[in-house]
Amino acid sequence: MNPHPADPLDHPDVRNASAVGFVAGYAASVGLMAIALMVTLQHEMSYAGFVIAIAILAGLALLAQALLMFQLNLSGAQRWKTISLLLVVPLFVLSIGLTGWMFHTLYPRTMLDFMQVQGNGM
Amino acid sequence: MLVHLQGAWTPWLGRLTLSQIPYNSPIVLGAFVFALLMAVPIVALFTYYRRWGYLIREWITTLDHKKIGVMYIIIGLVMLLRGFIDGVMIRTQQLLADGPRSAAHLQAVHGYLPPFHFDQIYSSHGTIMIIFAVTVVLTGFQNIIVPLQIGARDMAFPYLNAVSLWLTAAGAALVMISLFVGDFSHAGWVGIIPLTELPYSPGVGVDYWDWALQLSSLGTTLGALNLITTIVMMRAPGMRWFRMPFFTWATLSTQTIGLTAFPVLGVALALLSCDRYLGTHFYTAGLGGNLMLYTDLFWIWGHPEVYFIILPAWGIMSEVIPTFSEKALFGYTVMVAATLSIAGLSWAVWLHHFFTMGAGPGVNLVFSVSTMLVGIPTGVKVFNWSLTLYRGRLRFETPMLWAIGALFLLLVGGLTGMMLAIPAINYTVHNSVFVVAHFHTMFLVSVFGIFAGLMYWFPKVFGFRLDEHSGRRFFTFFSLGTVFVFAAMYILGLMGMTRRLDYLYDPHWQPLLIIQEFGIFLYCVSVFYFCKMIYVSIRDRAKEAHGQDVWQTSRTLEWMTQTPVPFYNFAVIPVVHGRDAWAMRRDSGLTATSPDQYEDIHLPNNTIVPALLGGLAFGFGFGMVWRIWWLAGFSLLGIIGLVILRSFADDKGFTLKAAMVRRMERNHEDTGIMTDHISPPVAELMLFQ
Amino acid sequence: MSRTAHRLIGPEEPLWAPHHPEADPVSMHTLGFWLYMMSDALIFAALFAAYAVLDHPYNAAGGPQIRDVVHPAGAFIQTIILFTSVFTYSLSMVGLKAGNRAFVIGGLLAAVVFGAAFLGLELRDFARLFAEGATPDRSGLLSIFFVLVAAHGVHMVFGILWMLVMMVQVAVKGFTTAVVTRLLNLRIFWMFQASIWVCIFVFVYLNGAYR
Repeated sequence: MNPHPADPLDHPDVRNASAVGFVAGYAASVGLMAIALMVTLQHEMSYAGFVIAIAILAGLALLAQALLMFQLNLSGAQRWKTISLLLVVPLFVLSIGLTGWMFHTLYPRTMLDFMQVQGNGM
Repeated sequence: MLVHLQGAWTPWLGRLTLSQIPYNSPIVLGAFVFALLMAVPIVALFTYYRRWGYLIREWITTLDHKKIGVMYIIIGLVMLLRGFIDGVMIRTQQLLADGPRSAAHLQAVHGYLPPFHFDQIYSSHGTIMIIFAVTVVLTGFQNIIVPLQIGARDMAFPYLNAVSLWLTAAGAALVMISLFVGDFSHAGWVGIIPLTELPYSPGVGVDYWDWALQLSSLGTTLGALNLITTIVMMRAPGMRWFRMPFFTWATLSTQTIGLTAFPVLGVALALLSCDRYLGTHFYTAGLGGNLMLYTDLFWIWGHPEVYFIILPAWGIMSEVIPTFSEKALFGYTVMVAATLSIAGLSWAVWLHHFFTMGAGPGVNLVFSVSTMLVGIPTGVKVFNWSLTLYRGRLRFETPMLWAIGALFLLLVGGLTGMMLAIPAINYTVHNSVFVVAHFHTMFLVSVFGIFAGLMYWFPKVFGFRLDEHSGRRFFTFFSLGTVFVFAAMYILGLMGMTRRLDYLYDPHWQPLLIIQEFGIFLYCVSVFYFCKMIYVSIRDRAKEAHGQDVWQTSRTLEWMTQTPVPFYNFAVIPVVHGRDAWAMRRDSGLTATSPDQYEDIHLPNNTIVPALLGGLAFGFGFGMVWRIWWLAGFSLLGIIGLVILRSFADDKGFTLKAAMVRRMERNHEDTGIMTDHISPPVAELMLFQ
Repeated sequence: MSRTAHRLIGPEEPLWAPHHPEADPVSMHTLGFWLYMMSDALIFAALFAAYAVLDHPYNAAGGPQIRDVVHPAGAFIQTIILFTSVFTYSLSMVGLKAGNRAFVIGGLLAAVVFGAAFLGLELRDFARLFAEGATPDRSGLLSIFFVLVAAHGVHMVFGILWMLVMMVQVAVKGFTTAVVTRLLNLRIFWMFQASIWVCIFVFVYLNGAYR
């Protein structure tokens, strides 16, 4: 490779490190997880409501990390990282969501003792 | 935790004993003699001409994307031959073992192969053809052509590129050695679950299959990120996104699939390994395992993998057809959109491989519709190629013949695919050879694409054309073989013949099986003409030598480099003014223009480390297969240590002075990939100087 | 005939780009590594898909459920320790911006210590479960629980190993292009572990405990 003339410390990836952003990302992550823990320990919601609540909290924590810790944005230095992440996220949804769905419909149709096990297990 | 195995195990050799070498099987012995007959002359020739040093200096240690690509293609073609021989054996067994009166030969009850051996052969046929032949050859093409098409000097990460190659080679070596040491998987290339579980496959066959796939899938993932980064970051000035040659777009879509799908295969296999080595219960029939989970994970990878194989072949067709129609690709933008949407859709169709699992009707409906949706962009492509041909000045040279053959096959394969996308039909023909015929037709689209690419780009890489005379015969016999084998197979499928049968119970299938065997004979003839083509071309290479643009009507940047391509690709990076940059230059009468000033060129030094990593990966795989823990542990530590050690060595790289570049560009003698030319030195050798 | 092919190149247009600046190696390597992390993310996506399938009373095979093996409060302590490790690594990036070697090495050292503490707690947790007889080969549900958590743990081990190497390289080589690139890549890798842990903590530990 051609030795690049510029000092690597002048690279935008190095330059965009910001203590304020990191502190904010850290605080947001810890805070959101603490809320999620409290929601769990209080045990007051219905299960469906609980799942939605913690999913939103996890999503917010991931968003905070992406924006504040990874510092993803659409600037020239970060553009392709952001785009590739945005393109990959649907694949998480497809692979986990469709898998969950197909097995959700499979169990009642194939496992004869499904109802009984569910009655005991839940 | 560690599963206790029945049978002998020693600390030094693990499960390996002398009795594991099947020297008493006449077929394996025959294969061994054949391999020896292939290998001994090669070794002898290298020794006689004292070319081992050249081989190591110029090939084993190389980081040049073209040489790496050539090595990929060589590995792929060798594996293609091996897979083909497996195919011949499968067809012959089914011909001989039809009906209760069928004769028995060798150690078999029917036909000439015992069931366990037959099962290994169809498993290795599928594994080899898909993972180690077609995938590998196409990866080779992408390696060679993409940096040239976008006007780059090399890949983004030349070192990583070599690591990918050697990981793939390690996987291929595991498959090959399974022929002579132990046995291969008998559970199909998909790894039929729970047959691959330890109680049903206590031998090492499944482990061979598992680790070979694991290693090559890691290589493919690393190769994918390399190619994507290359395309994103290393395009020549003026090469905007919508000026990229179509093959590069196809590669981008393909490698996006490669990057995202192969890790899922890794997980599917790793969980199987956990079951086999640690006694977990992911896919077991009891204790809370779910065997459909394996099928699900496998096909989450498996379907994108299908497009991983087909998209580059379509990319090749999209280069070959315009060149020999002497006009630009029709509907370039739509083609790009179609390719990208196929890559996207590939992630939402995998359940159609197991419609019969029993998921709810809503699930089957969604996957059926999404599968049919793939037909839209594919149809767009077929029409675009046809419209490229329409009113073009067609020249039927061999690459064009293969491309048009692929077009016809795509029609057949695509339409049967539409049939299979309908769950009702799918339930009926599930697991029949109708399905086998369908996906063979699709894979043959890829194979036709591969041969189109081989004929098309061979002169670019090596500087001489492949023999047209034997090439046409090769095409003719190959196409006829395809018709006879697979037309009969479609019919057999509709007659109810199921897959993977070592004994056929219905004598009524006999006539069609004979037709198939005749097709196999035609394939064998085509292999002869392929070998003849290679031989004649090399013999007459001086006569068939060509300049930079052998076809005269090619359109993309790779034809602008000197032929054979020098290791630095472009002496000076060209400026791109529009789509089909080379055609534009030709139309402007600028083909003979050479840059008026040259510059120093920096390239990385050659290094032996990637080959060592591949060797250690093979050691790791072999150790795990035979449960030789010290070997596996040592190899793993060796890999980690080598990576760390290498990270401390600063490769200053190699600088080719501008004056030297000028001299090499003016008299073309020093360039080319087969000649012992000036190329970067081996970094490790420099330590001793 | 396509119109684009007929546009001719004018005599004044440049044909060659001598001294064309090659792609900046730092951006190229961080993008390549980022793409690798995307494929790594899909490893976890596949594991979570497997978890979604196997997280069912049926798959416990009469053995312990997830709520019997997880302690949300203990996992929360792990969470804070991991976030702190990532945070100290991030701070060392602020030191990198200032070109301060001691700052960077100190930040990495703190990240290693917290990372090791996280792994220690995880191992203690595993040892407790093993002692209770809740082992991976007990049921499909426990298989995926252990493998999912351990896959994250193995990533942590390699991250720590990598940090140790980088501490030496910063000390020996200083901030060369290669070293800075590796520090940036390691930053991506290490932060990624926190993101994965968010998913594991929420969807395995908390969700499992609630059921």
